[in-house]
Amino acid sequence: MSVKKIAKDDFAVFVDALIAKTSVIGVQAKGDRFDFAPLESAKNLRLDYDVTLQPPKKYFLPPTEVLMTFEIGGAYRSAYEDEPFVLLGVHPYDMVAINQMDELFQQDNYDAHYMKRRNNATIIACDVVKPSENVFASSMGTAVVRGGYDVLLTDIGNAYVAESGTPKGEKLLAGMKGVTADDAALKSRESVWAKNKKGLNRHELKCDPAYLPRLLDKAYDHPVWEERARTCFACGSCNQVCPTCYCFNVQDDVNWDLQTGKRERAWDGCLLNGFTKVAGEHEFRNQRSDRFRHRLYRKAKYVPSKIGGQIACVGCGRCVAACLPDIANPVSVYNRLIDDQGIG
Amino acid sequence: MSKPKIAIFDFACCEGCQLQFVNLEEELLDLIGVADVVEWREAMSEKSQEYDIAIIEGSITRLEDEERLKLIRSRAKVLIALGACATIGGVNKLKNNFNDLDEVKKCVYGKDSKKPHLATQPTKAVDEVVDVDFYVHGCPIDRKEFTYIVRCLLLGKTPEIPDYPVCVECKAKGNPCLWQYGQVCLGPIIRAGCGARCPSNGFRCFGCRGYTSNPNVDAAKEVIDKFGLTVDHLKTKMVLFGSRQEPTIYG
Amino acid sequence: MCQCCTEKKDIYLPQLATVVKAEAMNVTERYLRLSMDDGQFDYIPGQFVEVSVAGIGEAPITITSSPTQKGGFELVIRKIGNVTNAVHNLREGAKIGIRGPLGDGTYPVEEAKGKNLVFICGGLGLVPQRAFINYVLDNRKDYGEVTILQGTKCYEQRLFVKEVAAWEKRSDVHMLETIDEGHDCWKGNVGVVTKLIPKVKTDLKSAVVLVCGPPVMYKFVLMALEEYEVPHENIFLNLERKMKCGVGKCGHCQINGVYCCMDGPVFRYSDLATMPEAI
Repeated sequence: MSVKKIAKDDFAVFVDALIAKTSVIGVQAKGDRFDFAPLESAKNLRLDYDVTLQPPKKYFLPPTEVLMTFEIGGAYRSAYEDEPFVLLGVHPYDMVAINQMDELFQQDNYDAHYMKRRNNATIIACDVVKPSENVFASSMGTAVVRGGYDVLLTDIGNAYVAESGTPKGEKLLAGMKGVTADDAALKSRESVWAKNKKGLNRHELKCDPAYLPRLLDKAYDHPVWEERARTCFACGSCNQVCPTCYCFNVQDDVNWDLQTGKRERAWDGCLLNGFTKVAGEHEFRNQRSDRFRHRLYRKAKYVPSKIGGQIACVGCGRCVAACLPDIANPVSVYNRLIDDQGIG
Repeated sequence: MSKPKIAIFDFACCEGCQLQFVNLEEELLDLIGVADVVEWREAMSEKSQEYDIAIIEGSITRLEDEERLKLIRSRAKVLIALGACATIGGVNKLKNNFNDLDEVKKCVYGKDSKKPHLATQPTKAVDEVVDVDFYVHGCPIDRKEFTYIVRCLLLGKTPEIPDYPVCVECKAKGNPCLWQYGQVCLGPIIRAGCGARCPSNGFRCFGCRGYTSNPNVDAAKEVIDKFGLTVDHLKTKMVLFGSRQEPTIYG
Repeated sequence: MCQCCTEKKDIYLPQLATVVKAEAMNVTERYLRLSMDDGQFDYIPGQFVEVSVAGIGEAPITITSSPTQKGGFELVIRKIGNVTNAVHNLREGAKIGIRGPLGDGTYPVEEAKGKNLVFICGGLGLVPQRAFINYVLDNRKDYGEVTILQGTKCYEQRLFVKEVAAWEKRSDVHMLETIDEGHDCWKGNVGVVTKLIPKVKTDLKSAVVLVCGPPVMYKFVLMALEEYEVPHENIFLNLERKMKCGVGKCGHCQINGVYCCMDGPVFRYSDLATMPEAI
């Protein structure tokens, strides 16, 4: 795979040409924050962003999507979205999250709805320029990513270093005006990586993330769950902004003919009322503290057991920012357990 | 199967929720295609005493309204409370904060306050008078949710109405939290289903859909503390749609 | 676009089945015999299906028939939610959507061979257990003694009354039944199902014990089995959870780190030791 050095102006020209050809989703300002949205011009692209309000997950697993259509008494027909698109400006921690989602949606039972969108996506990732207020990617080992993207961009000040990660990315890179990256450019990139590996760390985890599953082995009855959940609204904000939360609900609706209709899935959250309620009204995880604990166990123990030990918290810090009572911060909970239980 | 008969009745309210029916535009024709509307004061002159589904808009503020509502209930197979006035008493419940309604009447109507047509009593939501089968929350109602509920009914199914807070829909829409912009938003304790329409347009949640089934009011108190506000700030925001609703922050 | 996904089947897409037989068992339970329209359906006792009614939704239902009995498969459905209400309205000949069979955690069909079996069923718990009971009875010589304990809340709710009576008559089945509340027409045991455990003739210590009932029942049954020192490896529990997608994605049925729909719904009790949410 090749590595190029591309002048920023030339990159803008490339982006505008790309927009003319295909659908491009890029990071843009939204008020005084940032978010992914359809990009109309390279002018609006903000690769210097800190963090987006929503992770790019929604382009693979939308908040609501039609899974199938049906006719009452007749067959069900799968519905797929099948449009190629480019996702521009994915930060390393979000890329790690997408890599994890890819694994989860393919393993055991292949989710063709997610994978159809995923295979239609071309991802141009970019290294972080400005750390967000709550990022802790350095603690989670996700400040730098070396896989999953089609192209990785690194801002080295006066130019971008662009490296392809896939044949699809290689083709894209061929369309960018630039020169093969020289040693100086590669060295600048190395220093960006070195800086980010340490610097994206507004909350510092007191252990190697690989230790977290073992930490949680002994923490099930720790008082921290109830202490924190006392002020939990069970509002699911932490679920809704998380790049690795993928629980969903499924609901039917019919058209006005009352004969045809669709089955849709929509994001759900393990913090919400009714999430575990079965017919007959029994709710298995009825207490807020049980739900609060479940989320943090899922991130650092349950999901890791399904994806080769990778911790399913990528340190984006979105839940920290979204949590009104300020209890969701995974680092502060895990650190509290380390303080009480020690390591090892 | 013959088409079910729907009758729409209004009590104390602004009739804005009924207006949302009219705003359905073409979809209203779809609705009429699958159900017969037999009484609807806002849009037609016919009246009927035979109906399967009674839709009640407005809250109950007079004794004779209670009687009328009970009669409707006895005739209807299914009764739907439509809009905040009907589901939780709505803005009309503000008056329940006054201990002496006679004093208020005197202040508002002066010497006419004793006239019989001004007789009033503390405001009640529809389910404080009769059993309600389904609730269409909101001030005004959400058209999409309303039509979904009607279709569910026609299929004989219980609609799935969210029992989680507005934050869920607000965050899914990619909104930043309005608390971080100095607004006392009620989203964390109010039932979702509106698609977080107000916060998505920069307005705090006013709480028109009522509380979730177990709102964490204690958490709300701590949050306002964190933002340097007092319980009074919260009370003044909650009072609009939350007057004397259980549970409230009133002691 | 990409060939790999167009070729992969849609894990959420129900296949059509026809209601071959439908009858009311009592006020709340309805019996259905279904036949897949494409003919294919092989399953293991303990597996479940997602029953789909277009416009209403899906509900997970454990298969009650044994795969030894050919000609479709059977479900018993309690009228308790939207989907199950709608299923109660289906007549013979109607179409219904089916996904499955689902669930890797099935009854220990092979492992239990040669051993004595004790089935402990509470109420609707008989329905999933019946799949394995009939499997055992159809392969009778492969298994040891068979004891069935059935507890039902009230006389009117007893299920498969004729079949239970036939089991009672068999010399190779020890059938014990109780109802929680006494009734004029009932001459048998009265009380909860755990009261029947002391009457089991089989040596419980060496038996395979299979338990299925409402969530509240498990704790009491397990406490009773503890007294008889039944090894936890020999106890199998059929757990109920909100198995919404049935294929290990949606997250609703998760019990600690495990998806009930994937690793269950039948679990070995000793495997639940690390799952405090299970019981």
